[in-house]
Amino acid sequence: MTLRRVFPWAALGVVVLVVLAWAAWPDGGSVTQRDRARDLATELRCPDCEGLSVADSSTSSARAIRADLRQRLAAGETDEEVRRAYVDRYGESILLKPEGSGLGVLVWGLPVAVLVVGAGGLALALARWRREPQLHATAADEALVDETRRSDQM
Amino acid sequence: MSHPARWIAIAVALVVVGIGVVLATQVGSDPRADTTTSQLVGDLAPELALRDLDGNAVDATTLAGKAVIVNFWNTWCVPCREELPSLQSFAARHRDDPDVAIVGIVRDDTLRSVRSYVKAEGIGWTITMDPGSRAALAFGTRGQPETFAISPDGIVAGALIGPANEDSLEKMLAAARRQAP
Repeated sequence: MTLRRVFPWAALGVVVLVVLAWAAWPDGGSVTQRDRARDLATELRCPDCEGLSVADSSTSSARAIRADLRQRLAAGETDEEVRRAYVDRYGESILLKPEGSGLGVLVWGLPVAVLVVGAGGLALALARWRREPQLHATAADEALVDETRRSDQM
Repeated sequence: MSHPARWIAIAVALVVVGIGVVLATQVGSDPRADTTTSQLVGDLAPELALRDLDGNAVDATTLAGKAVIVNFWNTWCVPCREELPSLQSFAARHRDDPDVAIVGIVRDDTLRSVRSYVKAEGIGWTITMDPGSRAALAFGTRGQPETFAISPDGIVAGALIGPANEDSLEKMLAAARRQAP
C-alpha cells in the first residue's frame, strides 16, 4: 500500500480521533455544587408543567425541587442518588432523558445500530468496488477501435 | 456466503428483530403511566410537620393511631372546588370518628385567600399551609387536587391524582384501615 493511498485514511482517522476527543473532553474548571444542582435541574421534568425542566420552570414545585437539590447535594448525596430518589418518588417519567432500559433502549440504541449497519454496509460496498476487475483493452479491441476511426474518416 | 448484500440484509434484519423484541415487551405499557399514579402507595408516608391556620402543630404526634386522608389543594384550583362537596360529605360522615383525620394541605396559595375560602365554605377539617412546598414535594405531587390515604401505622394505603368523590374517599379510607396493624 503506497503512501498516497494510506494518507487519506490516516488523515480521516486523525480527524475522527480529534472530534471524539473534543466531544468527550470534560468542561474546564472544577464542578461546584451549584453547577451540579443546575445540571440535575435540567435533567428533571417539572412535575406540574408540560415539557419543561425543573430548571426552566417557575412553579412552586420547581422552586421546591431546586431547593431540595441544593440541600441534597450539600448533604453529600451523589448525582445518581439524587436521581434515584426522584425516580422513587415520581417514577421514571420525572427524568427528561430516558434511561437505558425498556423503550429507552430504542432511543439510545437505534441511532448506534443504524450507524454500525450503515458503516458496515459502506465498508462492504467499498471492498466490493475495489475487488471488481479493471477492464483492459485487448489488441483485438484496439484494432476494432482503429478500424472504426478509419471508417469514420473516410 | 460471499455476497455483501446478504450481510447487510442480515444486519438490517437483526436490528428490526431487536426493535420488535423491545416493542413486544413494552406492549400495553405507557412511558408516562407513572404520572397518573403515586409511587408512594405501600411505602411509609412522608412525615408531616405542618401548622394549621391557627398555628397548631399537625404532625406524627397529633395524627398518631389515625387513618389520615391527606388532600392537596388550592383555593384557585377549579377541580379542587368541584371535589369540595364530596370532601364535605365525607368529613361530615366521619366527624365523630376519633380514628379518622382529614388534613387539607394548601399547595400554593396565600394565607389570606385560604382563610377567607375556609370560612366562606365552612370547611371543618384541618387545613395547613405548605411553606416551601415541602409536603407537596415529599408526597411527589404533580398538581392539585391529589389525595392520599395513610394507615394508622403510617403506610400510604391509597392515592388519587385528580378530584376525589365520596366513593373514592370511602374506598381509600377502607384501604387505610385494612393496613392497620
